Amino acid sequence: MTLVEQFQVHARATPDAPALVWNHTSWSYAELARAQRAAAAGLLAHGIVRGDRVALLLRNSPEYAAALFGVFAVGGIAVALNSLERAEVLARQIRHSGARVLVVDPAHLEFERVKALLEGHPVHFVRVPTTDAASAVDTFLAAFSEAPAATLPSPADSDPAMLIYTSGTTGRPKAVMLGHGNLASNAQAIIQYLGLTASDRGFCVLPFHFSYGNSVLTSHLACGATLIIEDNLAFPQRSMQRMSALRATGFAGVPSTFTLLLQRGGLRDYDFSALRYVTQAGGAMTRATTQRLRAELPGVRVFVMYGQTEATARISYLPPEHLDTKPGSVGLPVAGTRVEVCDAGGQPVPAGSIGELRVHGPGVMLGYWQDADATSEVLRDGWLCTGDLGHKDADGFLFVDGRTVEMIKVGAFRVSPYEVEEAIALLDGVEEVAVGAMPDEVLGQAVKAVVVLRNGAQLDALAVKAHCRQALATYKIPKSVEFALQLPRTLTGKVQRLQLTESNR
Amino acid sequence: MSDALRDQVRAFILENYLFTSDTKALGVDDSLLGRGIVDSTGMLEIIFFIEEQLGVKVKDEEMIPENLDSVNRITAFVESRRKAA
Repeated sequence: MTLVEQFQVHARATPDAPALVWNHTSWSYAELARAQRAAAAGLLAHGIVRGDRVALLLRNSPEYAAALFGVFAVGGIAVALNSLERAEVLARQIRHSGARVLVVDPAHLEFERVKALLEGHPVHFVRVPTTDAASAVDTFLAAFSEAPAATLPSPADSDPAMLIYTSGTTGRPKAVMLGHGNLASNAQAIIQYLGLTASDRGFCVLPFHFSYGNSVLTSHLACGATLIIEDNLAFPQRSMQRMSALRATGFAGVPSTFTLLLQRGGLRDYDFSALRYVTQAGGAMTRATTQRLRAELPGVRVFVMYGQTEATARISYLPPEHLDTKPGSVGLPVAGTRVEVCDAGGQPVPAGSIGELRVHGPGVMLGYWQDADATSEVLRDGWLCTGDLGHKDADGFLFVDGRTVEMIKVGAFRVSPYEVEEAIALLDGVEEVAVGAMPDEVLGQAVKAVVVLRNGAQLDALAVKAHCRQALATYKIPKSVEFALQLPRTLTGKVQRLQLTESNR
Repeated sequence: MSDALRDQVRAFILENYLFTSDTKALGVDDSLLGRGIVDSTGMLEIIFFIEEQLGVKVKDEEMIPENLDSVNRITAFVESRRKAA
């Protein structure tokens, strides 16, 4: 069954059950189903057919979910755009995906610039205000303004359903293409190991355009549960108050989420007696943080997990009863998935030896969108080469030991040093630039840039950062900008990013 | 409300999040979150600024938009805490 079919089973069985709770509004399964059907019908009326791309530029909201499932229902491919991105990147991704429709919140800060940049590009805008007013469902229906369609296609598992843009090793856009089978099977695997049921009330602060947030959304809607949506964690006490008052049963976070909550969340001040579990993915969290979290939330099951967008979301999880016996492990593969630790030739290595983690299973992506070269680099004979280094212990438990590719991990976001370098290189007066990672107390890593100026050029760090703010999402802006007379290089002249990174440790 | 304090708060946000000294880039009542100027870690940095540079301890329960989501709100919050001290 596809995600939409699973969702519709619950919409028929428990129409009045709350599906999504956001600010002052709550959408029942029946309301979400109605909105999703309207979105599907509206998209059909715009000429969207199977395989057509529909981009979504909406913050976390019920409207996002209704539009996403509407795209799935017509067999279209949803392009989940990062609402934190700047107009140039968004416009480039919309062009790259070939999206014919952009479903957008007209209040989005970059929308006017996106529109201007797409001048002449054949894309139709469907304006969907995200609102927590009582009339939210009607506002959504009006945006699509079509009578529900009589019949909708039934997509195959191998049909692409979604594109998620990810940082590539070049400045070119790179989109992970996930099929209906990928999404449905990964959601089911998550439902199974978390023991999610219709009586669960998850609490989600993670962005839906990001594979982890997407998996939280889809797994809840696929099992008839309720998802409480938060836009951000800027005011952690407010979020925790709400989580307690709404008696959330589950919470998903990345390492920086938990660092923030342990520093400022006042977790002990709240009644979390309904909270059954928390999940952590999106990069390694220190064991000390995991231990503190367990101490602050006694009786709550803590799931340490590992995943990648290229594997839909989840690859493995550590059953909480093994937290003490297998500290630091990311556990065992999810249902139907195999993970091997391989040498450079692709051969499995013995337990205890470090190699690249390779993944086989129903979650492995279809490929990168219209990029056969990049796809063939990571998909080999049905196995996904993750680029992550790790090992297995004698009992088969997985440990992640690092990455083979130069990527900066800011919070849970992967940032390509090349993308930041390309942005800075456009600035007048820059001769060359190298970007690496620097340690950051909350986010784990932050971006650092070293800039070599042309003779006579005058630029300061502020000007470089200001330029980056125009071109890049906030989390990609270098936290530190240094100026040097030359960049660290190897004997062959290649810039040593790693040296740049390690010099800060 | 103290103009000097307000200018200091505004200058910090301009320099660290908008990377400019142009005061026109940030209205004193602009929502820092609503305008996408800071995110959750940015808000944490503003708290450090208030505590370290302005000398006012921010209790966990005081981390609310009413106290922190604009230059004027931060200024008023810091002033009220200084008066109470």
